[in-house]
Amino acid sequence: MSAVPEKLAGYRETKLIDPFENFVGPLYETGEKLERRYAFVVDERHVNMRGVIHGGMLMTLADMTMGQAAWDACDRADVVTLNMQSQFIRGARLGEIVEVQPTLTRRTRSILFLRGDFMVGEEIIFSCASLWKILGQD
Amino acid sequence: MVNRPAGIPEDAEIASTGGFNKFVGPLYRLKDLEDGAVKRFAFAAAEHHMNGSGSVHGGMLMTFMDTSMSRTSRLISDAKGTATVSLTCDFVAPAKLGDVIESRVRVTRRTRTIVFLSCELVCGERVLMVGSGVWKISGTEE
Repeated sequence: MSAVPEKLAGYRETKLIDPFENFVGPLYETGEKLERRYAFVVDERHVNMRGVIHGGMLMTLADMTMGQAAWDACDRADVVTLNMQSQFIRGARLGEIVEVQPTLTRRTRSILFLRGDFMVGEEIIFSCASLWKILGQD
Repeated sequence: MVNRPAGIPEDAEIASTGGFNKFVGPLYRLKDLEDGAVKRFAFAAAEHHMNGSGSVHGGMLMTFMDTSMSRTSRLISDAKGTATVSLTCDFVAPAKLGDVIESRVRVTRRTRTIVFLSCELVCGERVLMVGSGVWKISGTEE
């Protein structure tokens, strides 16, 4: 765990378990459980040759944050992504902070519907709608 | 002789030359199928691609799909650049450490400003993910 950047005062580092998430992280959060809001700082590793965040990184960030919310929604049962719909509305550039507060649209016994608008400042730059399967539930 | 991970053909070209692709890569381009109608790419799942349950992380699979489809949109449009506008991914089956994961991309339609693409990720004959998406050809504002 490293120090939280000054521009993210009030945030703490999210505990990440997956090797790939630690590889691209860190991720920061504020608030508790399903109310958690996440922040991600775009650095040199995450951008393409034009200095804009890679679409794959945005979808990874979506999978990471929706996954945290899915976990919160089902008391840390095992969940897997079934489907992710992504819209790339604008880019985010090196050094910018991308923030999201996931929304649980619906929970059935075995499926979670989660969506999120990813913001840089006041602007939506990316939006996702995702489906998650709660394992062990038919 | 070029050093390739197990299962990646010797004649595969490196497709991850910089930026995030290089960071998560290496990613490779394989020979086309069906007279060029199917563009193919591949990577070998390594430790840093995994999730905590021993499967390849969904973010890595979506990244690989995005890169495969983006590269194809540029190859077929001769455009300087293209940008992903929308991508939908269905997670059909998990992939494991050491799996060689291959993408097969087809162009559904190309207009002056837009490319419609579909993609399948497979490991051998097992389908891992299916996707469809829309790419914008840069420099064609309207």
